Amino acid sequence: MAFIRLIVFGFLAMSVVYLCISIYSRSIRRERLEDRWAENHPEDVESAERRTYIKDGMVKYESGFRKKLIVLVYVIPTIVVGTILYFVN
Amino acid sequence: MRNIRRILRITLFVLFGMLLHYALPQKDVARITGTDTIRQDFSSFNRWFFAQADSGNVEAENRDVLFITVVRQQTYLFGLIRGGDDVMVYRNEDTGWIWPPYFKFDTRDLQGEAQDLVSTAEAPKWVTITHYGWRNRFFTIFPNAIAVKQIDGSDYRPFPWFNLFFFVFLTIGGLFIRAMWMQFRERTLDPIADRAGDKLDHVNADIAKRRGRIRRWLDSWKTK
Repeated sequence: MAFIRLIVFGFLAMSVVYLCISIYSRSIRRERLEDRWAENHPEDVESAERRTYIKDGMVKYESGFRKKLIVLVYVIPTIVVGTILYFVN
Repeated sequence: MRNIRRILRITLFVLFGMLLHYALPQKDVARITGTDTIRQDFSSFNRWFFAQADSGNVEAENRDVLFITVVRQQTYLFGLIRGGDDVMVYRNEDTGWIWPPYFKFDTRDLQGEAQDLVSTAEAPKWVTITHYGWRNRFFTIFPNAIAVKQIDGSDYRPFPWFNLFFFVFLTIGGLFIRAMWMQFRERTLDPIADRAGDKLDHVNADIAKRRGRIRRWLDSWKTK
């Protein structure tokens, strides 16, 4: 029973962390794209090209490897628990 | 107001520190002198400072708890200064899948190891006892032993590697949360506030304009 409780609450906590990190990572990505565009086109603040550039970059991010790395939020705690379990017992 | 906030912050900091001091592992250099099994009838207060029944058992109102009695080297200032010997008693309980997260299920085996390492003052077998928790004589609270390991002599000084890494990761995690919060504020909250401020300006301007119109209408009634 305690084991099920740990799994349920652990999963909830990890999901919250996962959501927060994925929002943060996406925001960082978009900001970097905006900055890069601003560097190359200093006078262009709002245009269709800029919008498509950022959109393409975000689409690339959504299917990229970095986004998949966030799944480690679920993997690492599980490994830590397994390691503690092994060393304590 | 600022003082209240300061007091609140200090209280939270102290409580968090106490929680960590209770839950993080510590190592004592000790000589085991005996082991006991004692029936414990918990009060509603000291119940908090005991774990629960062994993880395969059912929780009852009272139960037998295993104890390990040792003579240990007193330490002060996080183990930097060594004092004389004193008696210490550890409880030996499963933490199971519950807080604190030691995932300890080998209580009986640990008791066996401890019984194997019982020694006298004349022929001492020194061990390190990894434990967490506090000893309080007034409330009958004992620290919980996690592991026992034999060492060469009493002059061995354990180094808290786990705690070192724990605090390093705690700092990294804290900085990461701070970075996340700042990013959230910069990209999400500030634009909303800007837009709200903008709208407020528009509304104010609108009100001023309308008032101007009413004023003009009123003025038109005045005799010139």
